[in-house]
Amino acid sequence: MIARLLSAALVAGFLASVVATGLQLALTSPLILQAETYEGEGAHAALAPFLDAAPDAPFAALIVPAHAHAHGEGGHDHGKAEEWQPAPGLQRMAFTGLATLVGGVGYALLLAAVMLALRREPTPQSGLVVGIAGFLAVALAPAIGLPPELPGMGAAPLVLRQSWWLMTVIATGLGLYLIAVRRVPLTILGGLVLIVAPHLAGAPQSVDTVSSQVPPAAAAQFAARSLAIGFVFWAVIGLAYGWAWGLFGREAGTRANA
Amino acid sequence: MTTATLQTQATTRSADGARALLVAAFLGLGLVFVAGFAPATVLHNAAHDFRHAQNFPCH
Repeated sequence: MIARLLSAALVAGFLASVVATGLQLALTSPLILQAETYEGEGAHAALAPFLDAAPDAPFAALIVPAHAHAHGEGGHDHGKAEEWQPAPGLQRMAFTGLATLVGGVGYALLLAAVMLALRREPTPQSGLVVGIAGFLAVALAPAIGLPPELPGMGAAPLVLRQSWWLMTVIATGLGLYLIAVRRVPLTILGGLVLIVAPHLAGAPQSVDTVSSQVPPAAAAQFAARSLAIGFVFWAVIGLAYGWAWGLFGREAGTRANA
Repeated sequence: MTTATLQTQATTRSADGARALLVAAFLGLGLVFVAGFAPATVLHNAAHDFRHAQNFPCH
């Protein structure tokens, strides 16, 4: 059972990450690169060490308030100029793909765990349903309070945003479970309360939202594309997990009969 | 097959399922943490574009 689950999750995570990586490279990465040119505002890679060394430099003021560190410009919030980062171009794309693979397999394993806990036999259909629930809980619900952001957009402290994100994902997931699986008036009411509560509490908001240089059109496009990719990612994970579960089950059956 | 064997089988299956559930949840959370949350700068930089695109809170 463990081998079948892990194999199916690996296959699903791999297939979904291939699709999502293609979409990210085509749709979101160009916008991220474009936004990073605003993040540094006039600072070039050659100037970055100088900026770190001399925070009083006249143009450093442009960088610090908008954003604690300049991505892809060699600067970093730890004050070290030489933190490793992937080289621009192919290497950066490869690491984006690798991160998507790790995340995709991780999501597929969590989807597998949820289906097992719910005692749902994984099929492409049931996988898709859980995958869409995953999209709602992990991508859409947190995006209501913390819309997908381009680098260089002002934002509240990271730990606050991560806590709110995690809380919202758990509350929404639990709420969906109470509504869709338990399905009695009391749990539906409780589920609705759980789903709405994080948004009533409110996401940590940025103190400084006006000074961002990133064009609003690019930011809006990024948010929409990010959610679209998230939907495809989760849908493929669910579909492929159900499919691969059946595939590995058949193979095990064939071996047992031989 | 006696009732006892059937019961043993059922117990083994549910224990097996519980173990699979724990392994999947633990590994899954670990991988998602590494890809989406790990604060190490190297991991953050490597996964940067993925984190932005998947709307993980990032820097």
